[in-house]
Amino acid sequence: MANKIPPFLLAPPTPCSIKQAKGKMRIPFLGRGINRLASVIREGYAQWDFSSQNGFFQKIDARVKILFLLFFILIVTLKRDVLPETYIWVFVFVLTLLSRLSIAKIYKRVLLFGFLFGFLIALPSAFNVITKGDVVLPIATLPRPYNFWIYHVPAEIGITREGIHGVAMLTMRVINSLSLSFLILYTTPFHEIVRALKVLKVPDSFLIIITLCYKYIFLLSKTVEDMHLAKRSRIVRELSPTEAREWVAGRIAFIFRKTRLRCEEVFKAMIGRGFSDTIRFCGFRKMRMLDWGTAVFLFLSGIFFLFI
Amino acid sequence: MRCAVENLMRLENVSYRYHGKIPALSDVNLEVHSGDHIAIVGANGSGKSTLLQIMAGLRYPMTGRFFFNGTEVSERSLRDKGFLRCFRQSVGYVFQDSDVQLFCPTVFDEILYGPLQLEIGEEEGKKRAFEVMEMLNIEHLKDRPSYMLSGGEKKKVAIASVLAMNPQVLLLDEPTNGLDPKTQSFLVELMLALIEAGKTLIIGTHDLSLVDELRSNVAVLSENHRLVKIGKAEDVLSDEGLLLKVNLIHEHIHRHGEAVHKHIHSHYLFHRHEPQNRR
Ligand SMILES: Nc1ncnc2c1ncn2[C@@H]1O[C@H](COP(=O)(O)OP(=O)(O)O)[C@@H](O)[C@H]1O
Ligand SMILES: [Mg+2]
Repeated sequence: MANKIPPFLLAPPTPCSIKQAKGKMRIPFLGRGINRLASVIREGYAQWDFSSQNGFFQKIDARVKILFLLFFILIVTLKRDVLPETYIWVFVFVLTLLSRLSIAKIYKRVLLFGFLFGFLIALPSAFNVITKGDVVLPIATLPRPYNFWIYHVPAEIGITREGIHGVAMLTMRVINSLSLSFLILYTTPFHEIVRALKVLKVPDSFLIIITLCYKYIFLLSKTVEDMHLAKRSRIVRELSPTEAREWVAGRIAFIFRKTRLRCEEVFKAMIGRGFSDTIRFCGFRKMRMLDWGTAVFLFLSGIFFLFI
Repeated sequence: MRCAVENLMRLENVSYRYHGKIPALSDVNLEVHSGDHIAIVGANGSGKSTLLQIMAGLRYPMTGRFFFNGTEVSERSLRDKGFLRCFRQSVGYVFQDSDVQLFCPTVFDEILYGPLQLEIGEEEGKKRAFEVMEMLNIEHLKDRPSYMLSGGEKKKVAIASVLAMNPQVLLLDEPTNGLDPKTQSFLVELMLALIEAGKTLIIGTHDLSLVDELRSNVAVLSENHRLVKIGKAEDVLSDEGLLLKVNLIHEHIHRHGEAVHKHIHSHYLFHRHEPQNRR
């Protein structure tokens, strides 16, 4: 059969020298960006699955943590003053420290989202055009007040005390809810969360959807990363920007299809191992003293925050 | 070319961890000369694939260094167009999981992707693609998308796509896994022919009979991700103690009537012992 081996394979390889091409590679922004995003997602997943480190919150039963999350988010939305919100924030911060999480990593995200969804969205309401009240920081003066339809634009435009309060409240609420959620997410592996939700009577169909989404996103980011690696192993020269764009565009559909097939395989594997549309888990381990103690402590702190 | 003495690839104290936590390689030193053929053997999870990916310039050592032709391979040096071209053109890597490797819309595009980049002309590229497909018996799959192939077919396409570039160094991760016996034995013949033609061949495998057939040098990775031995095939394969220690073979206790005897299981030893058993 050896005679079937094409002669080019047995010929000595094309000699190559470093001087064949000059200059530095420019890596196309699009491809690099997508790969960076995928690896950030994968890194996130890895962190999440590793969340069984031995901090304080990691040891607590997932059911306690989920109830804690719901209860505290309720409290955060009910509070009407900045000071109690600040106390809650300090409380969550201390819990985060006790759980030995990386403060920088968590707060980078919390502050970014807090800024986008709290501060920026609420900012316009700080002006007396929207919220009436005492102007504390005048910004512009119009020759006379304007009235059109239901709007009234006063002659002096500025930021009001009530407005500042509103913006601060919304930002604090967003920041608090996010720190709470990240605290739970980073201390509880994904499957524990699903289990806890199941115990708390969340419908199975909903849990299946979350689980498959979780798997899908993971497979998607892994496929993107794999494809990047595979392409890199065969990239010999710099692609022109057009080639790079075409490559990315052509591959997006391909990636989705490939990932969907993989996800279907995962689902088939689940069915093959006796999965039906009800989710069954082996029983939760018993609540220990630590779990009960923490539950009571968190509950009492919640009541305390409700009344200050 | 075969007897060139300077080393083609050199790994110095290479270590690697995934996500900064999961150890995959620790303190590996290895030299590869032009024309060498080396089998990296080790149990599952011992780090064979990781080592091959580092040698293919797809991952970079976390500590330690990897040199190709005297130049350190790193994210920075591979950004140099000249070095990138030289390195990628000379080193071909076949992934263990071929599903990962295939990224073109059809099988034909896949095989043609490499040759087209080499700027050897479209005619020559197509000729190579057809020849390689004919060699591996996959011409009929030419227009299929890669995700509509069976596992073994994917593997053949993956091998074809790398061979079409005619690299000087071939890194093959579990090349015979998932292939039918006929293709397997053809692949062994192909590898022997490539070695004969002066190619440098590095394979990662736990199939000791393959190692025996190729008669290559062997580098043994232990389960704690260290290179514990580098030597000739016959020396390593006869070192039962070592193979037992790295979990490549296992002791099995049989009951034959009254007598209980220990028997060491592995492809290679089984193969060797057969004539004796018959006697
Ligand atoms: N993508 C990955 N993420 C995390 N850990 C990995 C990954 N790939 C491999 N590993 C781990 O690295 C170690 C070495 O893996 P690998 O090089 O694939 O071994 P082998 O090819 O010898 O079976 C194993 O313990 C494996 O679990
Ligand atoms: Mg492997």
